[in-house]
Amino acid sequence: MSELAIPPVPRWAAELKNPPVFKPKADKIPDPPGYPSSQAPSSSKVHKVAQRKAPTPEEMDTLKLKKAWEVALGPIKGLPMTGIMMYMSGNSLQIFSIMMVFMAFKNPIMGILATNQAFERFETDSNRGKILQVKVAYVVMQLVALALGVWKINGMGLLPTTRSDWLAWEAQREPLEHAVTAL
Amino acid sequence: MLLPPHLSTFLLLALPSAVRAVFQDEVGHIDYHYELLGVPQRETTFFHRPRRDEKASLLYTLSDVGVLGAVHPSSGAVLWRHLLNGTLTDGGGFLRAGEGENWVAGALGKSVHAWDAVSGRNKFWVDFSGEVRDLEIMEMTENGGRKDVLALFDEEDGSSTVLRRLSGDDGSVVWEFKETTKDIPLQVSTNVEKVFVISLHGNAAAYNLKVTVLDTLSGKRLDELVIGTKGDVHSKEDVMFVGANSAAPIVAWTDNSLQKLRVNVLGLKTRQEFSLPAGAVSVEIHAPHLVQSLPHFLVHIKTASGNSADVYHVDLKTGGITKAYDLPVQRGTGAFSTSSDNANVYFTRITNEEIVLLSSTSNAAIGCWPLKEGELRSAAIYGVSEVVKKTGSGESFAVRSAVVTDTDDWVLVRKNGEIAWSRPEGMTGAVAAAFAEIPENEDLVKTLEQEAHSNILAAYIHRVNRHINDLKYLPAYLNSIPSRLTSSILGTEVSFKDGKLARDSFGFHKLVILATRRGMFYGLDVGNKGKVLWSNRAFDIAKGDKWNVTGIHIDESAGETTVLGSNKDHVVFKTETGKIVDAKAPEAQVSTRSAALVNTLSGQVLLAVGLDGEISSPPADWTPGQTVVTRGLGGELKGVTFVAADGAKLSPLVTWTFPVPQGQKTVSIATRPAHDSVASIGRVLGDRSVKYKYLNPNALVLAAVDDAALTLTVYLLDTVTGQILYSSKYEGVDAGKPIECAMSENWFMCSFFGQYGVRDDPDQIVKGYQIAVSDMYESDQPNERGPLDDSDSYSPLDPLDVPGAGGASTLPSVVSQTYVLGAPISALQVTQTRQGISARQLLAYLPDMHGIVGLPRMLLEPRRPVGRDVTPAEMEEGLIKYHPVIEIDPKSVLSHERDVLGVEKIITSPAVVESTSLLFAYGVDVFGTRVAPSFLFDILGKGFNKVTLIGTVLALSAGVFALGPMVRRKQIDTRWNAPM
Repeated sequence: MSELAIPPVPRWAAELKNPPVFKPKADKIPDPPGYPSSQAPSSSKVHKVAQRKAPTPEEMDTLKLKKAWEVALGPIKGLPMTGIMMYMSGNSLQIFSIMMVFMAFKNPIMGILATNQAFERFETDSNRGKILQVKVAYVVMQLVALALGVWKINGMGLLPTTRSDWLAWEAQREPLEHAVTAL
Repeated sequence: MLLPPHLSTFLLLALPSAVRAVFQDEVGHIDYHYELLGVPQRETTFFHRPRRDEKASLLYTLSDVGVLGAVHPSSGAVLWRHLLNGTLTDGGGFLRAGEGENWVAGALGKSVHAWDAVSGRNKFWVDFSGEVRDLEIMEMTENGGRKDVLALFDEEDGSSTVLRRLSGDDGSVVWEFKETTKDIPLQVSTNVEKVFVISLHGNAAAYNLKVTVLDTLSGKRLDELVIGTKGDVHSKEDVMFVGANSAAPIVAWTDNSLQKLRVNVLGLKTRQEFSLPAGAVSVEIHAPHLVQSLPHFLVHIKTASGNSADVYHVDLKTGGITKAYDLPVQRGTGAFSTSSDNANVYFTRITNEEIVLLSSTSNAAIGCWPLKEGELRSAAIYGVSEVVKKTGSGESFAVRSAVVTDTDDWVLVRKNGEIAWSRPEGMTGAVAAAFAEIPENEDLVKTLEQEAHSNILAAYIHRVNRHINDLKYLPAYLNSIPSRLTSSILGTEVSFKDGKLARDSFGFHKLVILATRRGMFYGLDVGNKGKVLWSNRAFDIAKGDKWNVTGIHIDESAGETTVLGSNKDHVVFKTETGKIVDAKAPEAQVSTRSAALVNTLSGQVLLAVGLDGEISSPPADWTPGQTVVTRGLGGELKGVTFVAADGAKLSPLVTWTFPVPQGQKTVSIATRPAHDSVASIGRVLGDRSVKYKYLNPNALVLAAVDDAALTLTVYLLDTVTGQILYSSKYEGVDAGKPIECAMSENWFMCSFFGQYGVRDDPDQIVKGYQIAVSDMYESDQPNERGPLDDSDSYSPLDPLDVPGAGGASTLPSVVSQTYVLGAPISALQVTQTRQGISARQLLAYLPDMHGIVGLPRMLLEPRRPVGRDVTPAEMEEGLIKYHPVIEIDPKSVLSHERDVLGVEKIITSPAVVESTSLLFAYGVDVFGTRVAPSFLFDILGKGFNKVTLIGTVLALSAGVFALGPMVRRKQIDTRWNAPM
């Protein structure tokens, strides 16, 4: 009864838990192409590529500068798209346009605040002066993006630029003399 | 606009409800209406059966304000009514009904008319020259059942007397009797075979009575009798009574000292004398009007302390008059009325204690019913009665009397001494009304004053003590919370807190003080459906006279109201109770033209202005700090200021005069209301620029017409300097039609009847009611404030043209537009709200439609673009394309289906909530409602279902409480009983 009660674990189950160690097959059946074992000999080739001549620090600086310029010009690349979306979303106060305006302000400001972090990895002692130029360009680009947001809220009429926006603070002119009628 | 079809349909359906002035569930909740007739006159009020074969009778009256109407005697509801002349009249007129006829005949002024007795539809209306003096129904005519109308006229120039017999069917003249004479026509009377015209003959020193006897068929003169009066009769009022259609009509008068009563049976030359009891103050005669009734009459003698009556019988054969019996003297004035049932004549005597029914044949009372204690608040003056003899065993009578009391109420007293209904007819003919806040608790004001005057420590102890004292009200307050909660949920209102009036947080509970021309004043609770809280008589105004109120001033802090009259009279009473504090009766001479509420060193006071517009030097602490604008005898406007003449004494000085140009006469003057809050000083245009409003609290609009040139000129004046700021002229204006102006904020409007050209066809001229609206701005250009720019203050006395500002002037830039109205309007008024944020509405009475309309100011916008579509910027501003005709939209009629008759004036007052303005209209009817020109944006409407809301909240919380533990248990179970 006890043998019946606890049946032996089937092999597939046991192997699922403890996969058997890979053993190269004794027979010469080739592995299918792409099978890891078949690529094993080419590892030396990869190693050969990795063992390319290391770039000089000048080259590294140029590369980093190039990369930094890409980052700096990043904000302006999205602008045409953002502009079209802003134009399409209209000037009415809706959740979509409000979110968009919020993002249009949040991103540039956060970007400007995080200028140093953005270029930290490209900065070296040698290219500091050039990176500064890039940083300035980056800030200018962020300001351009910000200007787009300002243009948007102006379009939405949220900027107090007109006389009517200050009307509530204007006082009524009071006459110094008063009259009452008895007619 | 490409809306989905179902959405646009929905919008279309939603539109009417959005613009509806009154919601159905608000009717009777926010508005109230007293359907009034006016105080019924003694001679023109009677019970009459409108259908011959039915017993039910109606009560008909032609009141002292010229309203002819029928009232249901059992309920007091008005069946139908007509304001005969279109405006309120000063009494007079005649009303008669033929026995068994289904129509009543009336006469007022120069017209005679007949009305269907049940429906009130007009049967005929005929106008003649001259003025009607008397009206009678010819009960028996030659052509079968038709009853004709006899109308006695006095020609306009007093040169002749005309009696016309008009057909009862269509009002056509059957015959006319004309006599060219200087005699004063008095009355007409008829018995079965003759018509008698009674007139005063001779001169004013001593008139004799002239009786002209006419033939009923042809109107030919049969006889003429002159009855000497021995100098007793000096005017037509001295002849007390001319018996109507009784079998033996009589004419009666007294001597000057009220000692003798002289009676003449018409058609006879003799007159009989009867002595009156000593001390008689006035004598009245009551007699039946039916031909078949016994020729008995009752003489009602009033003395200073009581009243008595004598009953006389006329012998038909000999014309002799004998005294049948007399009635004992009773206290008070008492009221008698006559009713007849075929030959029987009954007299009803109504005193403060009982109703006594007498037959004309014996002095034994047929019935006597004591009045219930305190039922009749005030003494009955006169009345009419209906006596019905009940068929069945024994002699049983039912009597009901409609009496006018000395507080101008019309009361129906039933046989069992109960009051069936009481109509406050005295509220008609109101001459002035004002809104008053419900006075705050006076004790609190006093204690606060007391605290302010003591030292800090004492005041603190006093206050702590007061608060501890106030704790005794805490249980009552806690007790009241459930009832307040339920009333708030169910929408019922609690207006009285421990029987006292209290303000409410919305400001809907206010009082209206109403003063009438009869010398009565009323206090109405606006928040409680216009309930009459109190009424009181200020003065006894003689019949024909009017209490001419020039000003009402409500002193909030003292809780007192002062009403100033034109005859040096005034009355001061408590606003809350109407109790008179101080009163001075009117003098005979009219001495005050108007009154101005001026600010003085001792607060606001009412300053009386003389007839010629002069102000006598008031006491030093009553000297106003403002210029007072008055009107002179010639209609000119004057500005009076007070200047120091010698030392400290200030004396009035006329600083400017505005004489209306030659040929013109002033028809309407409007100023901005005393409470006219302006929320924004400019108007924001579509491009976000600002057009600044010209807000001059001293501006006044004066409309003057030229009868000859048919022009209306509207002047805008500055009342400090008297300078004309602007004027405009409208041509082809009918000066005979009412012209009215209204002003508010930076705009004014005048409504008139005039002609205008049609744009498509310049030759075509159309006449119609128009309204000219003008906006005043500080400058033509937006974003400009004129030469004064943003200075905080200015003096109107400075020159209008500012030197050095390039010819710029401080005159307003006016934009005007004229609209054609679908109906005439009158009693113009503008809504007032607390802060002026809500849009304004022009409120007006529609005399033809008997309703009060609220025209949105947006509709009457002068800047609406003409002849082109609106630009998007203008659309943003809320402008709509100009359309010349403004039809009166029934949905904008605030009085909806109510028939509001004869409104003379509308007053408005702001509530505490910004959205709402309180409206009160008076004239004949009294009507009040709340207006929300920008809809109710700050309070929940009555349609808001608080029960559902609270039910939902309760159900949800119950669900949460019930499901919470279950869910929690389930979550724990899932964690612990995880399947292995």
